[in-house]
Amino acid sequence: MDRSAIVVDGVTRRFGDLVAVDNLSFIVQSGEIFGLLGPNGAGKTTTINLLTGMLRRDTGQVSVLGYDPQTQARQVRQRIGYVPQETNVYLDLSAVDNLWHHAALYCQDLNGVKDRMAELLQLMNLWERRKDRVRTFSGGMKRRLALARALLHDPELIFFDEPTLGVDVQGRHDLWQHIEALQAEGKNFVVCTNNMTEAEVLCGRLMIIDYGQAVIQGTPEGLKADLGRDIVMLRTTPPVEDPADLFAAMGVQAVTRPTVDQLRLEVKDAESIVGELVFRVTADHRLESVQIARPTLDDVFLHHTGRALRE
Amino acid sequence: MARFRMLLVNEFKLFRTGIPIHLVAILQPTVMYLLLTVILVHPTFDMYVDRPSTEEGRALVSAMREVGSPIGAPYINPILIDWDGASVSRQVIAVEERDGVTTAVQHYGLIDSNLVKNFRNRLTAAALRLWNADLGARAVTVEEYAWLPQDVPYSLYFGMALLPMTAFLAASIMGAILTAQEFEFRTIVEYQLAPASISLVLGARLARLVLSALIAAAILLVTVGLVTGYWPGSLLEVALILLPVAVIAGCLGVLAGLLTRKSIPAFLVGLVGSFVGWVLGSGFGLAAGFGHSYEFISRLTPFTHATELLFSNYYGAEIGHPLASILYLSLGGVVMLVLAGLAYRWRVMRQE
Repeated sequence: MDRSAIVVDGVTRRFGDLVAVDNLSFIVQSGEIFGLLGPNGAGKTTTINLLTGMLRRDTGQVSVLGYDPQTQARQVRQRIGYVPQETNVYLDLSAVDNLWHHAALYCQDLNGVKDRMAELLQLMNLWERRKDRVRTFSGGMKRRLALARALLHDPELIFFDEPTLGVDVQGRHDLWQHIEALQAEGKNFVVCTNNMTEAEVLCGRLMIIDYGQAVIQGTPEGLKADLGRDIVMLRTTPPVEDPADLFAAMGVQAVTRPTVDQLRLEVKDAESIVGELVFRVTADHRLESVQIARPTLDDVFLHHTGRALRE
Repeated sequence: MARFRMLLVNEFKLFRTGIPIHLVAILQPTVMYLLLTVILVHPTFDMYVDRPSTEEGRALVSAMREVGSPIGAPYINPILIDWDGASVSRQVIAVEERDGVTTAVQHYGLIDSNLVKNFRNRLTAAALRLWNADLGARAVTVEEYAWLPQDVPYSLYFGMALLPMTAFLAASIMGAILTAQEFEFRTIVEYQLAPASISLVLGARLARLVLSALIAAAILLVTVGLVTGYWPGSLLEVALILLPVAVIAGCLGVLAGLLTRKSIPAFLVGLVGSFVGWVLGSGFGLAAGFGHSYEFISRLTPFTHATELLFSNYYGAEIGHPLASILYLSLGGVVMLVLAGLAYRWRVMRQE
C-alpha cells in the first residue's frame, strides 16, 4: 500500500524569466511532519502553492493524497488545511466567528462543527478568549487560531507556512507542542520555515531548498551526521592571512572566513587536532577564542550551497 | 441554507472592519437630503412690497396673492414693509408715480440672474392679472391643466429620485470595500482554497449588500416622509424597484474590488458611479424635461428607470414605460451577476 501523502516529481514553475521552482522532486510519507527549509525567496511558498492548487506547474507531476491539485482541485481542497505565512484571519471578528466563517466554506457536514470548534479552541488555549475580537490577540494567539481554523474541517494534510513567524518564544513552543500533538493523532504536516531550530524540533524529515531546487533531504540528524565533520571556529589577532598554508596536512576539509578575524574550519574529528591547531596559530597570532561545534542545519546548508541560510 | 445563513451573519459582522465607511455609505444621502431641503426650490416666493398708499398699489398686492398653481400653492407671498427707499436685501417692489403714471418698480439686491428671472416672472404674472381685462386682443392668457391631483413639493421629487442613488451608493461602496479588503488583508486565501461554490460565496455577499442598501433607502424614505408628509403607496413595491438597483450596484462594487484589489480605487468606483449615475439619471427632474440627449443618456442608467417606477408610487401617475423599465432593471441585474461571477472565477478561483 502506498503510504505517500505527497509525491512531487520533476516539477518546474517559472514566473517570466524567474525559475521559482526548478525540477523539484520529493515524497512526503503519511503521518510525518515534513519541512521545507530554505532562505527567503528559495521557492518554499511557491512549492506550497503548487501543492495546494493555487498555482499551476509548468512541468512535472504532483499527487496530493492521491489527487492532482491542478486537475482535481476540489478533491484536494476538501482534504487539506492551509495556514499561510501572513496570518489571514478576520481581525474584527471574534475567534468563534472566524471559525464559523471557515466552517461555512469548508466543512462538508455542519453537524458536530460546534463541538469540534470548542475542542479546537480548548486545544489551542483560546477558549477563554473565543468571543474577543481577534485584533486584540497576540501574534502567537493569531497563529494558533489560524491553525485551529485550518483543522476545523478535519483535513488529512496541513500546510503550515512559517508557523512561528513573529511569534514570541513562549508562543513558539506552545505552537510546536500543538503541531506535535496533532501529528500524534495522525495528521500530516508540511511546514515551510527558515528557522533552523523550528525545523530541527518539528520535522521528522526535511528538504533544504534554494533557488527553487532541492539541495538535500533527509532527517535533521541524518543530514548533520552525513556532513561527517566538526566545526572549529577560531578568532585571532591579527587575522590569519593564509590558512591553507598554516593548517597544511592537518586534515582540514574546508576553511571559510565568516568575519575578518574569524576562521571556520571543517575537520573530521575536532578533538583530535585542536591541540595542534592551537599550537600552530599561537606561534604568530594571539588566539582570542576557540570553539568546537557539531554541525547545525545552517552548516549543512552552507556545505551544500556555499552560503549561510540567513544570507 | 444554514451555510448561507452563517456566511450572511458574518458578512454583516464585517461592518466592524470599516465603521466610518459603512456610516457614510448608509447615511450620506439622507444627510445630503436634509441639508439640501433647506435650499431646494419652493413654489411660493416671499416678495417684499413697500406698503402701498394708493388704490393701484393695493390692487397689485391683491393680484400678487392670486397668482398661483391652479390646484394649490400660491406663487407669491407678498410681505408689506415700510421701505426706506435705499436698502435692498433681495427684492423690493415699490409702487411709485413716474411722470404721472403709477408704476411698480422692482428693486433687486445682490441676487443671481436665475432668482431675478423668478421674481420678475412672478411680478409679471401679477401685473397680467390686473391688465388683462384692459388689454383686449393683446391679453396674455395662460391656461393651466393640472397633471397631478395635487401640488407636490420639489423636495419630494428630490427625495424620491435620491432613493435609487441611496441604494446604489450603499451597495456599491460596501461591495467595493469589503471585496478589496479581502485582498489587502489576505483573507481572500480562505476563498481561494474553499471547496464552496461561487454562488454560495457571492450570494451571501450580495444578499448582505442588498439588505444594507434597502436599509439605507428605508432611512431616507422615512426622512422624506417626515419632511414632506408624503409616503409611497406600497413599501413592498418600492423595495422591489430598488432590489435590482441594489443588485446592479452590489455587483459593480464587487467587480471593482476584484479588479482593483485595493480599497481606495474600488471605493472611488462606487462613489463616482453613484453620483454620476444620479446626476445623469433623473436626479433633479424627470429625464424627459431636459431634452432628447439627456433623456437618451439618462435611460442608460438604472436610476431613471427606478425613478420613473417610483414616481407612480409617490405621485399616483404613471410615466415612461413601466414594463420596459422593469425589463431593463431585471436584465441589468442578471448581466451584472454574470459579470461578477466571471470576475470572481478569474480573480479568485483561477489557478495562476
